[in-house]
Amino acid sequence: MAATTLSRRRFLIRMTNLGAGLITLMLSIPAIGFVLAPLFEKRTRTWVRVGEIDSVPVGLPTPFTVAMPIANGPPSGPVDRVVYVVKTGDHRLHVLANTCSHMQCNVHWDPSLGQFLCPCHGGLYDVTGHNVGGPPPSPLPGWVHRTVVDPASGRTVLEVQNQYDERI
Amino acid sequence: MLRFLSRPVTTRTRSAYRWFDERTGSTELLHKGLYEAVPEKGGWAYTLGSATLVLILLQLFTGIFLLLVYTPSFSDAFPGLDYLRRSDRFGSWVRGMHLWGAYVLIFVIGLHMLRTFLSASYKRPRELNWVTGALLFFLVLGLAITGAMLPMDQAGYWTLVVVTNIPHYIPFIGDGVRHLWRGGDFVGQASLTRTFAIHIWVLPFLLFAFIGAHLYLLRRHGEFGSWVNYEVTGADPDKELAERIVRAEPPYPTRRIERMWAVPRRTVDFFPDQLFKDTVISVLLIAVIFVFGYLVGAPLSEKADPATLSYVPTPEWFYLPLDQVLVLSPQTYLVFVGAFALVGAGALAFILLPFLDRSRDRAPLRRPEVLLPGLFLAAMLVLLTVLGASRLYSL
Repeated sequence: MAATTLSRRRFLIRMTNLGAGLITLMLSIPAIGFVLAPLFEKRTRTWVRVGEIDSVPVGLPTPFTVAMPIANGPPSGPVDRVVYVVKTGDHRLHVLANTCSHMQCNVHWDPSLGQFLCPCHGGLYDVTGHNVGGPPPSPLPGWVHRTVVDPASGRTVLEVQNQYDERI
Repeated sequence: MLRFLSRPVTTRTRSAYRWFDERTGSTELLHKGLYEAVPEKGGWAYTLGSATLVLILLQLFTGIFLLLVYTPSFSDAFPGLDYLRRSDRFGSWVRGMHLWGAYVLIFVIGLHMLRTFLSASYKRPRELNWVTGALLFFLVLGLAITGAMLPMDQAGYWTLVVVTNIPHYIPFIGDGVRHLWRGGDFVGQASLTRTFAIHIWVLPFLLFAFIGAHLYLLRRHGEFGSWVNYEVTGADPDKELAERIVRAEPPYPTRRIERMWAVPRRTVDFFPDQLFKDTVISVLLIAVIFVFGYLVGAPLSEKADPATLSYVPTPEWFYLPLDQVLVLSPQTYLVFVGAFALVGAGALAFILLPFLDRSRDRAPLRRPEVLLPGLFLAAMLVLLTVLGASRLYSL
């Protein structure tokens, strides 16, 4: 017989603590997993038609409203989002989100300034979405996009995906 | 039973109460709750704590009633509240009281903190009274901001977008925190569901746990009051203090404190003296909420439009200082410095005040090393609020 014996009292205390630990463990695993699940969820990417862009004038950012399907989370209806289509003189196409890179307020094109203006904290972006004033740390995000030519009409149609081309 | 019914009504009531009391100990409980000594001077200042409690209970009360109409749904939340505005006088009154209750609550908590700060009530052994109180203040601010997100009008939606975006400036884990709060990359139904759960369960649950701790600690150490209650007037201070300690009424003498702060010179009974003052203040505050909740009510802007190009989001008045900090920190790393390092350091210093202010003095003018930074902090908050307000109204 070993010199150290476990008294009945000690045994009961240890088993009670063990029980409390087991309960904590059993409740934590599903709860923490449930809360953290969105981090590991796969996004569902879909292409959405924005519209024909042949008539968008060069140099003037033109807003389109798109019913954007959600990429993750419990199923719910699409959310209206703005797609700014910008054609610059060098024949380049910029497809910008109007989400300020500072605090994600909605920016709008201000014709009198000739810049995108964020109403929240006065952030400014030039016509191609580069941050040029105020607190924004980075340019406006663009939408992942592609253009297709409608075979029937021969017109250029813009489509965007429900994701930005970079994280902001 | 027949014998019981045949007795006069007064005797019957009395014996029914005795029956109940023998089984529950209700009289003893009531005595424990109501009979305690409170410092004699400054009773009106001590009403602020009980007023805070009453206002929090009022928020619980009006909040439960709002669940009669509110659905945490991106598409259905706004129409429910819009219906209140157009067709339900009493419902919009309750909603108005919930908003004005929140405003008055934040204001009264500010006063409560100010008076505790000035009287140095947080010193040994009441450090944890202050710490729990400071945490309660932050919980209330959390409730206020999550509550502002729920109506799904333009104001609520853009509050949800901007506030859930702030955590992403935290290094390394920021994106994850934002993603978890929103339940996705963008604000959507999941963001509202999660915020709703935080507002009606998570924060209130923590709030009431900390209120329990705060009240327990108050009853354990007794109301400190302020330095004016502890003056020694006799020729022999030692003898006077010793006599006070001998004659102290519960919950005094305060344990683990310097002798001179152990027992107030004179005390009054909590019931009815202090409770009367508490009631007067609570009646006045609730009357303000009652009237403003009806006359002014709670605003409701247009239905949330994530694709708006014209709506200008404005923060609630109690978040103007933080909003102004965001304006003044122009780049990513500065947002971190401004919104997290500076504000976080200020908040930490505020929570840990009892461990920073180690002097034995309690009168505010004898503690300039604490009073001046405190006033500086308060002045900064006022200045940032004024700057923020003038910026918003000039845009």
